[in-house]
Order: sequence, then C-alpha cells, then structure tokens
Amino acid sequence: MSFLDRERSIAHPGYSRWLVPPAALAIHFCIGQVYSFSVFKIPLTQLLGVDKSLPGDWKQTQIAWIFSLAIVMLGVSAAVFGKWLESAGPRKAMFAAAVCFTLGFYVSYLGVITHELWLIYFGYGVIGGTGLGLGYISPVSTLIKWFPDRPGLATGMAIMGFGGGAMIGSPLAIKLMAHFRTAGDVGVGKTFLVMGTLYFLLMMFGVFTIRVPRDGWKPENWAPVTKPQAMITTHNVDVNTAFGTKQFWLLWIVLCTNVTAGIGILEQASPMIQELFKGSIGPVAAGGFVGLLSLFNMAGRFFWASASDFVGRKNTYYIFFVVGALLYFVLPWTGADHLNSVVLFVSISIVLLSIYGGGFSTIPAYLRDLFGTYHVSAIHGRLLTAWSVAGVLGPVLVNYMREYQLERGADRASAYQTVLHVMAGLLVLGFVANLLVRPVAQKYWLPEGEKTMQASRPKSAARVGPALPQRSN
Amino acid sequence: MSESTKKSPAVAILFAWLLVAVPLGWGVYNTLLSSMKLFQSQPAQTMAPASQAK
Repeated sequence: MSFLDRERSIAHPGYSRWLVPPAALAIHFCIGQVYSFSVFKIPLTQLLGVDKSLPGDWKQTQIAWIFSLAIVMLGVSAAVFGKWLESAGPRKAMFAAAVCFTLGFYVSYLGVITHELWLIYFGYGVIGGTGLGLGYISPVSTLIKWFPDRPGLATGMAIMGFGGGAMIGSPLAIKLMAHFRTAGDVGVGKTFLVMGTLYFLLMMFGVFTIRVPRDGWKPENWAPVTKPQAMITTHNVDVNTAFGTKQFWLLWIVLCTNVTAGIGILEQASPMIQELFKGSIGPVAAGGFVGLLSLFNMAGRFFWASASDFVGRKNTYYIFFVVGALLYFVLPWTGADHLNSVVLFVSISIVLLSIYGGGFSTIPAYLRDLFGTYHVSAIHGRLLTAWSVAGVLGPVLVNYMREYQLERGADRASAYQTVLHVMAGLLVLGFVANLLVRPVAQKYWLPEGEKTMQASRPKSAARVGPALPQRSN
Repeated sequence: MSESTKKSPAVAILFAWLLVAVPLGWGVYNTLLSSMKLFQSQPAQTMAPASQAK
C-alpha cells in the first residue's frame, strides 16, 4: 500500500494544479450523498410490508438516527483524524474515506437483508460517518497549497461538491430503487450495494489523481505578498496550539451560529412555505422549493468562498451576519398574513441558503489566513465539531420553540416568526464573535527552525506550505 | 523533455473535469426539473388566497 504514501503522491514538475480540484470534487460529490439520505426514509420503513409499513417495520423516528449518527461521526472523525491526515497525506486519507464510506453502504445492505437496524446504524452511521469526516477535510490543505493565490476559490470548489452531492445522490437513489423494486422487495438493499460501488470507483479517481505540490512550488507569475497583512499570516500554528487560542473558539462560534441559523430554514423548508402560504403552496411546489434551496446552498459555497479572496474573510462573514440577520428578521412578514409574496419569500430564502453554504466553504481559507497552511486540515477538522453541535442544536431549537408557540395558542404561520427572529439573534452573536477575531499572537507561531527541520525530514518533506524561491510548471 | 518534467496533457485535465461535471450537470438538471414545480403551480394558486385575504 506504499502507493498511498505522501512521498508517492508528490507532483512531478509540469503537473497541472487544475487536476486537483476535480480530484477533490470526486470525493465531495460522493460523501455529499449524506444530505440526500432522506430519500431512503420511507423505503426503510416498508422493508417488510413493501407497499405499506407493517407492525414489525422500523419507524421513521428510528430511521432518523442514521443521518444524525453519520453527521456526528463526521465531526468526530474530522477532529480525531485531522492530525493523522496531515502526516499521512491526502491520498491515504482519501483512500481511507472511500473504504469507510463504501463499507458503510455494504454493512447497511446486510442490515437491510437481515432486517437488523443496528447494522445500518453501525454501517452507514458509524463507519460511513467516519468516511465522511475523513473525506471532507482530506483535500482542504492540499488545495490551499496548490492555490496560494486563490485559497477561497480552491476550497470553495471542493466544498461546493459536498452541497452538490445531494443533487446527484437523491435522483440516483430514486432511480435505482425504482429499478430494483419488485413485488416483494422495495429495492433499497441492492441500491445500497450499487451506490457503494459507484461511489468507490469515483472516489478512486480522486485518490489516484490527487498530488501534493513539491516543496517550494508556487504558481507561475505569482509571488507571495511580502507586505504584511494584519489578517493573513505568513506563519504557521500547530493544531494543538491552535486549539487553545481565542481565535479558534471565536471561529467555532462563527461556524456554529451560521450553520444553526441555516438549518433553521433547511429543517423546516417544506412545511414552512406551505404554512406561511396556506392554500397557495402545496407539497409538490414545496418540493420544488427544497430543490431550489439545495441549488443555492451549492452555488453559495462556490460564490462566497471565491468572493472572499477579494473582499477578505472577515468582511465576508460580516456580510453573512449583517445581511443574514436582516433577512431572517423580515422573512416572516413575507407570508400570507402580511405581504403575501411567495417571490419575496423564495428570494430571501435562497440568499440565506447561499450564506449557509458560504459559511462552510469560506472557513478553511479563514483558518489558513489565521493559522497558516501547516496544520490547516487538522484545525479545520476540529472546527467541524461546531457543525455536529449545530446539527443537533438547529433542529432542536426550531422544533421545540415552534411547539412551545403552538402550545401557547399561536397559529402555525405566526409560530415561525419567533423561530426566525431567534435565528436572526444567533447571527448577531456570530457577528460579535467575528468582530472579536484578531491575528494570532506571535507566541503561538511555530518556530522557523522547527519548520525547516520538519521540511528536511523525508517523511514530511512536502508538509510545509510557505514557498522557497523555486519556480516550476 | 524527460518524463519527470512532462506537462499534464490537456486531454487528461479535460477528462478529469468532465468526470465530475457530467454527474453534477445531471444532478443540477434533475434539481431544476423539481424546482420548476414551484413556479408552475404558482400563478393560478396565489391569486385565490391573496383576494381572500382582502
């Protein structure tokens, strides 16, 4: 398995850096499938009854735990394996991600044919979820090193893939289940097998295409900015040191608040539009609304991260929090009781979802600006625990607050007002956290000597990002 | 030009991008088809509650 080693994946002179984004996208398109897991919800509750649920069939509440487990494991594995990834290199990490993600599908297939739910929890949730975390962070630092001139664009492209994964995974699963469906089988088991295999093949393309730049490589006609920039460091911070800095935890709050607020819309998108425009929007149109949100979630990942290369990372999050808070605040008034404008409601929602996506994709470049490239994937991995927390916090906040409002006698449409205003408040909290972000103090920087020493060791020869004055390609 | 300094062929770069662009295009197409339902069912249905509200 030595072909997976970092040393074997160092790019030869002349290797085009434009091969790296498709390699990263191949991984993210596959693992982004997790966002479309809901298409399996109904079929998994009808494994015994096929056309309807029988008493022995699983309940939707039991099935919901599969997705939650996978997302929690994403955060956990990204945090735990981030440092290993930095030394093992992206190829080995991507390979491990592909094996885990595929194995998750295969074990889930066993769970379906034996009707053992714990096998699906363990397969898709735990093993597959571990693959999600590894796959999510594996190309990040490599992309940043290949695109020092446009780190936001580079990570935006990859993380856009995670948003796009659901758009591929959802119709693929629906068509496969329809293909394998028979009188006695809903077709979900065989769909797991085929999807696992297809995803493994696409992920292998990423594994064998990814390369790390040679030590000292830099893009043609590009010179690192020598003029000091307050919010962009030329130094590096170790992951364990970064974990103890105020900046790490401020960015943790920034990510957590942005994701929690976004989930406020995502979680309730379909019922919300139907209840705010009761009588005018039905379930079919609401399904179209959800599709539109996923498109803008993906587009926002690319657009905002790329824009952050020009406007700066901190300013990008200022835009998110100011615009986001205002839009969340006015959103309830677009409903039938007030302005009664579906167009305005949809327009505001898609901007909010683009901000949600942008929050995910801009954070790696923000981390790179503050902590350098040395351990950026590992630091990013630990920061993703904010996502795990938000994944639980968002739906809990939305559902419990809504229930509370309804119990107090509020009608279904106006119950959303409080929920959305709390989301606006969360974004104000994120704004304050972003405001407090300052450059990392010198005492946290890795000593230059240590960097040089690490660079000279064969095992970690390509680990150090900042360039020596060699030029190629 | 030695093997170690050869440039990545343009065809390889194009193939790599196509390999990810084709599934994405298919996914976006399917999502757009689904999104159309929001606009298709919109005009006739919004009129009723708007007038009722008044």
